[in-house]
Amino acid sequence: MVFISQRLIAGLFAIAGLLIILLASVSAQANADDDMWQVLQKAAVAAHALSYQGIFYYQAGTQSKPIQITHMFNGQGEFARNVVLDNTPREVFSQGGDLTIFNPKNENVVIEKRHGQNMFPAILPTNLDLIKQSYSLRLGEPDRVAGRPAQMLFLDSKDSLRYSYRFWVDVQYGLLLKSVMLNSSNEIIESIVFNQLGLMDTVDLDWFQPKIDSKKNYVMEDEVVIIADNGVPVGWSLKGLPSGFRKVDQMIRMVHGKSLPVTHLVFSDGLASVSLFIEPLSKSIKPRTGHKSVGGTSFYSSVSNSYQITVVGEVPEATVAQVANAVVFKK
Amino acid sequence: MNEQISALLDDEIALEDAAHLISAVLKSKDAAQVWSHYHLIGDTMRGNAVLSQHFKQNLMQKIEIEPTVLSPNAALVNQVAKVKDANRLPTSWAIAASFAAVMVIGFMLLNQETNRGNELAPTEVAQADINKDAAADDGIPAEYLNAHQASAPSASAYYIQTVSY
Repeated sequence: MVFISQRLIAGLFAIAGLLIILLASVSAQANADDDMWQVLQKAAVAAHALSYQGIFYYQAGTQSKPIQITHMFNGQGEFARNVVLDNTPREVFSQGGDLTIFNPKNENVVIEKRHGQNMFPAILPTNLDLIKQSYSLRLGEPDRVAGRPAQMLFLDSKDSLRYSYRFWVDVQYGLLLKSVMLNSSNEIIESIVFNQLGLMDTVDLDWFQPKIDSKKNYVMEDEVVIIADNGVPVGWSLKGLPSGFRKVDQMIRMVHGKSLPVTHLVFSDGLASVSLFIEPLSKSIKPRTGHKSVGGTSFYSSVSNSYQITVVGEVPEATVAQVANAVVFKK
Repeated sequence: MNEQISALLDDEIALEDAAHLISAVLKSKDAAQVWSHYHLIGDTMRGNAVLSQHFKQNLMQKIEIEPTVLSPNAALVNQVAKVKDANRLPTSWAIAASFAAVMVIGFMLLNQETNRGNELAPTEVAQADINKDAAADDGIPAEYLNAHQASAPSASAYYIQTVSY
């Protein structure tokens, strides 16, 4: 009797021990997961908060461009200059999210104003919650990029509605050193990689001005009229948007070559963006239906209830089609 | 000279020391152009801080909200404004029309030349036109791609030259 109870107790201890090991490994797994997301979170913040300069290569399809970047955070604001180093030196200046682009075109330099906060290496949003819904993260091998030790991470799409990414994060600075975007067949659609990188130890803003070519004419780009839209759709609603995509912007704009204003909605899953355009068909405009995919950008157009629906985005073709089909007209 | 103008705009040269520079700007057409270019560049670079991003949107919205005054005189004013608008449009049309005219003349010249060279040319020209249309249809329509990239810029929008009209 005593002998049996001893065995029972020993057995119970063994089971308890196993349970503890199991629980510990589960929480270790959770911790490892958290740690990986922490690395990505740090990369998102470092891109805005550090001062650095270097040269990176942007490559998509047959296009390959070296770009010189100078980025500075002086405690109050964020300033960056990106110079495309080719025979038409395009200069992009950003101050916070405001962009001024100096774009040489023949004898002119066209000055364009834009808004955006996702320039490399700051391609990740600082809030990763939306990304966590649609992508999963797994650890890759340690590697070297631009002569610096880097940790590779896979950001895999959970479905076929968006592309997957591979990121290389600087072990020391926490900065993103390399980003690769892949389609579902694991083919590279776009890659951006630092060739050289160093931190800057100055708060001087001497460099934050364009190289002026006195032989050229500086002209402002024709500003497109955009009217903020309160977002109450008249006559249509959205049903069955691709999972993970949220509406981030809505406006009414003039589109080149169109006489009537077009309703423009922008959706994002945290990394990829899709634009939806809805416009009433008019006699002067030929209705367009079809789909196209060039590089990583997909296009889909259809006609419904005498409205032209157009969708464009850096997503697979199935996603733009689903966004177009999500527009439901009220009877 | 250009450097001096730049220095003056940056307040690096005192106004009282710049009399010769200002008179030079007034005299020389080139210097006047540099002067206005520097102003434009400076305004756009600084403009970021001056006007909010949605300034124009908000302004347009406010104008939309403005009540319409229903009085005969106001209607008359509106009518005058409309006539003015109608008068304003043709300037852009004129450019389009002259461009179209150049295209037509160019096409005629092309036709003539190919006609001279070869009896079969007209069908060839027609064939080439069909091919051109097909090629234009190949890509993603630039007007929508540009509108998308203006509101949701991606890496390619920053670094690769966008299509111009």
